[in-house]
Amino acid sequence: MRPPAVFFLLGALLPASQILAFKSNDFKTCAQSGFCRRGRALSARALAADLSWRSPYSIDPSSVLLAPDQASFTASVKSALYPEVNFGLDLRLHEDGVVRVRMDEIGGLRKRYDEAANWALVAPPRISRDISWKVGKNAVRAVYGEKKNIEVIVEFEPVRVVLLRDGVEQIVLNDGGLLHMEHFRTKDDAEPVAIPEGEAQTTLQLNNRAWFEGEEQDAWWEESWSTWTDSKPKGPESLSLDVTFPNHLHVYGIPQHATNLSLPTTTGPDAGYTDPYRLYNSDVFEYLPSSPVSLYGSVPLMHAHNAKSTVAIFNAVGSDTWIDIGRTETGTKTHWISESGILDVFLLPGPTPADIIAQYTRLTGTAPLPAHWALGYHQCRWNYVSSDDVRSVQKRLDNEDMPVDAFWLDIEYSEGHKYFIWDKKNFPDPVEMIKDVEALERRMVVIVDPHFKRDSSYPVYKAASELDALVKPKSGSGEYEGWCWPGSSSWVDFFNPASWDMWVSFFKTKSVDGQWSWIESTENVGIWNDMNEPSVFNGPEISMPRDNVHYGGWEHRDVHNINGMLFANQTYNALMQRSDPPKRPFVLTRSFYAGSQRFGAMWTGDNVGTWEHMAIGIKMVLANGLGGFGFGGSDVGGFFGNPDPEMVVRWYAVGAFSPFFRAHAHIDAKRREPYLLDEPYKSILRDMLRLRYAMLPVWYTAFKEMSTTGIPILRPQYVVFPEDAEGFAIDDQFYVGSSGLLVKPVTTRGATSASVYLSDPQIYYDYFTSHAYPAPAKKVTHGRTVTVPAALHEIPLLIQGGSIVPTRERPRRSSALMRHDPFTLRVALSTEGSATGGVYLDDGEGYGYTNGEFVWREFGAETKKGGWGKGGELKIWSKDRATQGGSNDVAVYNPANVFAKSVSGVRVERMIVLGVGSRPALVSVNGGSTVEWEWQEGIGSGATTEGKAGVLVIRDPAVGITSDWQITVVF
Amino acid sequence: MYPWFLLAALPLPVLSAVGKTHGVPPSHVAKYVPTTSTSGVGQTWTCLDGSKQISWNAVNDDYCDCPDGSDEPGTSACPNGVFFCKNVGHIGSTIPSSRVNDGLCEPECCDGSDEAPGVCPDKCKDVGEEYRKVMEAERKLRKTGSKIRASYIAFAHKEKKRLEGGLVDLEQEIATREKEVERLRGIAKRAESLSAKELERKKQSPLYQSLLTHYTALKSLQHEYKQHLEREKALGDILDALRTGYNPNYQDMAVLEAVRGWETLAGLPRINNSPKEDKKEDEEDGLWSAERIERELNKLLNIDHVSLLLEHEKVVDEPSSQSILLDVTAYLPDSFIPPYLAFREKLLSWLELLGIKAGSSDTSSEANRARQALSDAEHSLKLTQEELQTAHEDLSDLFNPEGFGTEGEWKKLDGLCLEKDLGEYTYEVCLFDEARQKPNKGGSSFSLGKFTSWNKLAEPGTPEYYTRQRYTQGAKCWNGPQRSLELILTCGTENVLLTVSEPEKCEYQITGTTPALCLPVEDGKRDEL
Repeated sequence: MRPPAVFFLLGALLPASQILAFKSNDFKTCAQSGFCRRGRALSARALAADLSWRSPYSIDPSSVLLAPDQASFTASVKSALYPEVNFGLDLRLHEDGVVRVRMDEIGGLRKRYDEAANWALVAPPRISRDISWKVGKNAVRAVYGEKKNIEVIVEFEPVRVVLLRDGVEQIVLNDGGLLHMEHFRTKDDAEPVAIPEGEAQTTLQLNNRAWFEGEEQDAWWEESWSTWTDSKPKGPESLSLDVTFPNHLHVYGIPQHATNLSLPTTTGPDAGYTDPYRLYNSDVFEYLPSSPVSLYGSVPLMHAHNAKSTVAIFNAVGSDTWIDIGRTETGTKTHWISESGILDVFLLPGPTPADIIAQYTRLTGTAPLPAHWALGYHQCRWNYVSSDDVRSVQKRLDNEDMPVDAFWLDIEYSEGHKYFIWDKKNFPDPVEMIKDVEALERRMVVIVDPHFKRDSSYPVYKAASELDALVKPKSGSGEYEGWCWPGSSSWVDFFNPASWDMWVSFFKTKSVDGQWSWIESTENVGIWNDMNEPSVFNGPEISMPRDNVHYGGWEHRDVHNINGMLFANQTYNALMQRSDPPKRPFVLTRSFYAGSQRFGAMWTGDNVGTWEHMAIGIKMVLANGLGGFGFGGSDVGGFFGNPDPEMVVRWYAVGAFSPFFRAHAHIDAKRREPYLLDEPYKSILRDMLRLRYAMLPVWYTAFKEMSTTGIPILRPQYVVFPEDAEGFAIDDQFYVGSSGLLVKPVTTRGATSASVYLSDPQIYYDYFTSHAYPAPAKKVTHGRTVTVPAALHEIPLLIQGGSIVPTRERPRRSSALMRHDPFTLRVALSTEGSATGGVYLDDGEGYGYTNGEFVWREFGAETKKGGWGKGGELKIWSKDRATQGGSNDVAVYNPANVFAKSVSGVRVERMIVLGVGSRPALVSVNGGSTVEWEWQEGIGSGATTEGKAGVLVIRDPAVGITSDWQITVVF
Repeated sequence: MYPWFLLAALPLPVLSAVGKTHGVPPSHVAKYVPTTSTSGVGQTWTCLDGSKQISWNAVNDDYCDCPDGSDEPGTSACPNGVFFCKNVGHIGSTIPSSRVNDGLCEPECCDGSDEAPGVCPDKCKDVGEEYRKVMEAERKLRKTGSKIRASYIAFAHKEKKRLEGGLVDLEQEIATREKEVERLRGIAKRAESLSAKELERKKQSPLYQSLLTHYTALKSLQHEYKQHLEREKALGDILDALRTGYNPNYQDMAVLEAVRGWETLAGLPRINNSPKEDKKEDEEDGLWSAERIERELNKLLNIDHVSLLLEHEKVVDEPSSQSILLDVTAYLPDSFIPPYLAFREKLLSWLELLGIKAGSSDTSSEANRARQALSDAEHSLKLTQEELQTAHEDLSDLFNPEGFGTEGEWKKLDGLCLEKDLGEYTYEVCLFDEARQKPNKGGSSFSLGKFTSWNKLAEPGTPEYYTRQRYTQGAKCWNGPQRSLELILTCGTENVLLTVSEPEKCEYQITGTTPALCLPVEDGKRDEL
């Protein structure tokens, strides 16, 4: 269907007010940040000095101390600038080949923050016992890997760490000599040498560190910006490190930024951006859809990729960090500048994108399997204003037969923005309301933010205050007071372990020992953790002063980027302990850090209802997946603004193919729930919602894979085809899990078709029309671009030949109500006439699966040699995948487990075989009874010209989803 | 907890055991019969839309064959199907197929037929009874309400009579007043023609000219002053709205500063703080207070300058204002004076009539008086004409479907103010007039809009049309649109407001009841659904 011309009119009439509302004055540029300025000045001096530049840091060869039984060693490092200062280096080789490099100041005036990795890592990494370091005259070396092709060299003077594979340099630390750990000093020592006027000539002689550190003590002891002054009691303590990927032209990762997936450069003549990428969790109002500014979350993980190799570094730092990216002819140079903390860098050897993600998630943990309902459609708005409003939204969706799994309440449910406390005027019956939602097996998700209204009658604030578990001001005592939704507020300090039990008791639905608990909730309520950057309306950069004090005396600057993760972490923990037996918690967080994937879902924050934001949201979710945090999405429709119906429809298509699918809108936005749209939009939205639900088996299986291997749910082109250079920069299409589904959401106005890039010489089928895009006739090494229909009601969605896609196509009101619906299998035959696929199922909300209570099937299809000629045969089968391994839970798996029994009556009601080139003679089940079928004439999977595929529909073979079976198609 | 365990325990083809007419509404049962095919392939059946012929076995076999979903009336196999539950003991009902065999017992199917046997109990007896009770209660409510409504209609008819009666009186009054105006106009004309010349001369006086300049200046100042007052008020309204309505959600401390600044400037008590004592400002010596300006400036500007000029002449020229000839009294013995005055009066009026003695100060003030009388009479006439106009309009609104309803049932409620106290605010809707939000703890109240229309989505005159009233063009939100209100009414025995909500920023929704919506119950004919 072509969109009527009225769309274009509507577009033209849109107010121009939403152009740029990003308040750049609220956030620092590098030039406004003292340590970033110092870091960039350092790299500028190195650039100017060119070949004469030499890192002042070196390893004392006599200090190298190998661990007796592990692949680790320590050594002392000196800086030629400050020979009296000691630095300690610690290198470890993990069992999986990851190299960890740590450096700290030893015996300094103060202690650098060294706990970032403790929060990020899921468990202490296992150090290899098989690999050994060899100490040479100029370096320490280790060679390892299955083919003994990986080598790590730690050079002494200057200090330089190199990871090589097959003799080719992959990652080099301090290649550019920008390593600099500003040691602690006292303010008096640091007073600049007074230079009499007119004697500037002697400066160089007097200050023999200026060639490296510069002439000025730039913002060492105090820093003012806008109306704030940062007292910097510890003085300068920044960390500069250059990381070079000499042979990789593409780098990805370091979410969260609104940029292309393959990161544009920030230095050099053709720089994509002028400022470095920044990681400093920030509540950015109406952020720009293309910018290196920091956003809500920070994952300091960077992938580097070429056609032969993928490597990565994970820089476990929790303070404000700026990253410059520059390109050389063959590779990429990056420069990381952090405000504080030790050097703690992990080198991930790859060699494939999937290996990198596995190595990274082995360090920081994989995302747990979420509750099944969380993959459904989430209906949100700031705000549903009353319990009757919630009921009415539910009713209207039901009246339209539009599926939905969760209704959300934003901050206005709470009285005076005192989270947990219901505003009884509008929500007089909260538990009844929640139960009305749960009656249809849906869930409510309610917001709880980390700032507490300073009101002694508010039990939540009172408890935290009495426990002394609130963030302290720079004095180190009392309670920091800032401004947020409730007005004057204080922030819970989740670095303080005393807060953890408190948080657990808050979420109990029955009061324990007279402690305050949220008894007006249920054991199924999900929690939305927002504003956890933390957002402070009257603070510097809309956040906390950096000299605020957390538990253990650490300054806020040391832990800023970790802060948001701990909030979601403790909420997740509290929800886990809410019920017995536990149910899988659902927590949505806005702020995140490395490791946050262990605690729920994220979204891309307060986006704007524009096409640019729709497009960038996809890239941001892809980038987050590369950062191990694949359970994400962006607000469908855009948080700010009033998108026209065309944009709303396209955005639902984006949402239907996002791991997290939530529609949300700002309080000033008009209501835009799907039932409010006129036809034909309303029906299109219904179809899209139903498509999402039909594909839930695909999504759930992809989540299962992510929870075991870390591999993201949405897979960018280069992850699926690491050797196809043409796909390295593609970030507007992606594969869903390992299902073979390839999606390219439309993010432009008025589109009627879309170009999809195909890397592999394989046939692809249009999901909806069965139109086939055959593999190229001749063997070619490069990909091809095909044009697919993309009118408003169409989603460019292809199935890769060789895939079997399980769906459940009966519309229901919520995902739980589909639990006993039959399956449809789409068998998309490859050019060779074969296909594979799988499906993972479990009870969707408990932890029975860890006791083997699940079903994991593998489907296969194969065409006998001779193909579809007379007597030819096509076999389609199902077998138990769990017994073949691949899951952590297999050890206790029993094919006749409780869950499997509960779904043993669920059948496959239909098989749609794509690419069947000739009319079958008969179709039989398990070599016995024949079943009805229908064949629509079309081309076979081995065809070489585009056209409608031949489709065989097998009618109700009545085979169980949990049982082994084989269907035989005889030609 | 999960009823489908029952399902799951059964063998796979369980659902094919469903009867062929399961889920078929009575009106279609006759269509669910097999056709015996002549070609010998067994019994067949044709989809209700005629699009396809399928095997009779394929009906209700839990596999969707027909594009219209008609082959699966009793299962969930077709996405576009519908399911009929008989609900014996209650009323039959139709649900979408998506609700069949989903493990939940649908309230619409009290007989439990939407799920496999044994999953949902048959509750139709109780449900039916309960339903009939509710319907009876509703019928009673409507009956009582419709009686009140009838009284509203009676009121409208009385009102019509009253207005019509008033029309006659008003028309007569207008006729009388018109005559009076005519008469006075004649007098004023004559008086003016006598005095015009002399007046022109006197108007040349520098004092008069200066007075005119003063007048213009004062008038201009007043105009400016009013504009400033209006701007200040508008600004104050904006800031008041900001102060009470702002959500500190724009992360904008500038807004907070503005609110605090305004509170200081306007001397407002901070929200949540106890109100401070009002301070009275002392008036400066000799200068007028704002109230006095308001009160007296207009009076001052409305003074007739010509009269003033003449008054002035009178005062200044008192001794010599009249000609010696006529001022004979000074030379006459006291006893002669009264007869003389009487004579002079006659003489003067005689002279005036002859046009011999014209332009005297007395004649000018006479003209002035005549002019004043004419203007008063004209004003009265205008008022009466307006009254007539209004009465005409009221009369035409009375039985106008887009006004007070086809039966005039809403006239009684015209201007009736209903209130709902929600703690922080009281919401007031004066029907057909204006709705307001009034803070209970002090501060200014906001208009939520003035009555603009009935439910625009319904046809005027239909019952649906009168269930919604729109009030628009209320006070502007500081960061949004002008406030507006949708009043949603249902039949009830009282005129009351029930709930207030703000589904979108500054767009309010209030629900309430009114007897005006209680249509008479047709007795003897119960609602049969």
